[in-house]
Amino acid sequence: MNFDNYWSAVDDELAAIPGRPVLDLVPARTTDEATFYTLRITSTGPYRVYGNLSIPAGDGPFPAVLLTPRYGSVNNIPHPNDRSRYVVLSLMHRGQRLADEGFAAAYPGLLTMGIGDPATYIYRGIAADCLRAAEFLRGLTEVDPNRVAVSGDDLAVLTAARRPGFSSVRVTDLLFYRAMEARQKSSLYPLEELNDHLRAGSSAETLANTLSYFDPARHAPAITGRTLFAIDNEDWCGSLISVTPDTEVYNVTHLDGTDNDFLDAWLAERSGVPAMSKFIA
Amino acid sequence: MRDPENATVEVELPGDFDEFWAAGLADCASYPLDPVFTEMPTLSTDKVIVYDLRYTSYGGLRIAGWYTVPRDQPAPLPALVTIPGYISEPTIPKEWSELGYAALAVAPRGKLRSNETFNPGYPGLLTHNIVDHNTYGYRGFYLDVVRAVEVLLDRPDIDNLRIGLQGSSQGGGLGISTAALLPGVIRCVAAGAPYLCGIMTAPTLTRSYPYEEINEYLRIHPKDVDRVRETVAYYDGLNFAPKVQAPTLLYVGLEDDVCPPETGFALQRALTCETTLRTYPHCAHHAGLPDVMRVVEDFLAEHLTPGR
Repeated sequence: MNFDNYWSAVDDELAAIPGRPVLDLVPARTTDEATFYTLRITSTGPYRVYGNLSIPAGDGPFPAVLLTPRYGSVNNIPHPNDRSRYVVLSLMHRGQRLADEGFAAAYPGLLTMGIGDPATYIYRGIAADCLRAAEFLRGLTEVDPNRVAVSGDDLAVLTAARRPGFSSVRVTDLLFYRAMEARQKSSLYPLEELNDHLRAGSSAETLANTLSYFDPARHAPAITGRTLFAIDNEDWCGSLISVTPDTEVYNVTHLDGTDNDFLDAWLAERSGVPAMSKFIA
Repeated sequence: MRDPENATVEVELPGDFDEFWAAGLADCASYPLDPVFTEMPTLSTDKVIVYDLRYTSYGGLRIAGWYTVPRDQPAPLPALVTIPGYISEPTIPKEWSELGYAALAVAPRGKLRSNETFNPGYPGLLTHNIVDHNTYGYRGFYLDVVRAVEVLLDRPDIDNLRIGLQGSSQGGGLGISTAALLPGVIRCVAAGAPYLCGIMTAPTLTRSYPYEEINEYLRIHPKDVDRVRETVAYYDGLNFAPKVQAPTLLYVGLEDDVCPPETGFALQRALTCETTLRTYPHCAHHAGLPDVMRVVEDFLAEHLTPGR
């Protein structure tokens, strides 16, 4: 199946499955600044995934940000700083904690689950989860449709590409980009999972073929918003940056206080809200 | 303006602190460790052999870990227990075995592979039964790391005089508690951005998770504040610190919103062992990563002498 048909099929499956979202108020996380909800919503499979949704107090519409899930079993709850400024939705994809009824992802293991065939690769469903979350967030009446951002790793790129209309895309990590090359650089996980899988008898061609459907450089040309790449090796990322229509590059300093503040300020400016530091001076 | 180095962070020491932890250790000792090492050929490399590990800990729960050894190093080996952060799962520590260590990455209860019986979730662990120190979720969690060290002590391929602890955030905090509970056993501790130190002070200095969990708990249970304070005092790294005998490396980000630097300085003041503190301006919870890892590797190598 070619790239476009593969992703069109995902869209078709999502369109055929009603999300049936359910929001439950969380009093402990609700403050004068924002109201906090848990979200359960159906994605492809069908599979119920989980999200944390927070809506600022006051009259909207508000800028919004979708936080795509990181690689790992747990995602942090949206920070109160973000909750005070944005409608913020953080997603737990299928298999992550709180979205693990029926399927609990293994770490290590998730990155190569079903990787022998693009049709069975777990990230096909995970990508669908992100797209479903994007549709939900952008459908909220409290959200200003002209100020919706997505933030995360390759899944943020993929989501922005598959659902045009995000005004800002903040990319702070890359997992799939040149993964078959990057896996050879060290024995560190999660990319070491690819090496483990090869040792178990899979072929590099098979892995490369499946991963190519998730290569952010193949998705990025479809992004319509401004994209910030926070990276520490601009040369390594050149083939991604060059195909992304409207980009900025932030060379991370690895002084993460400084980096965190820059990333916050970038999105705040794009969204018309004040910048805030997580470190209370 | 904050002054982390000189800030006051106080924790009351419970009168029965030692007895409380002695009782926990006695419970552990009532169960045979029964370690089971299963070699994992497809996870192993030409340099490192990987084992899935299971052992028995506090309350009789089976706990998981990953154990790795370098292929070409003769026994006895120096050993390193790596302790995971709050939201992270332990990864297979091949990189440490490539440096010459036997490495045990422990998955304390509640982490994947160790959560069949106890699964408070994330968020959740920090406030699980937080009004009762006897049943607080962290009790078994702390002891699971102690038991991981005991697994190593039983292995003939390990040099029992060269066992170190390494971790950051929760891993740093539990490095302190484990070294305190095993005085004379642990050779050195590398603790980054130590969490679980000044537990009641930290949520007043930050709105970041996981400490924000305590703020949330008290938002809906404001009358429990004294009981919460009483509970976490048994688990506070500042109360464990004076019992640590092993040389300890601390590294702290001076703009850490997750584990406020005030608590890192307080830990340094509470430690009476040989202590080195590295501070990193403009750094948050990474506390100097990635550059600080070279410092950590050198510190561990100095005390554990891999390749000797």
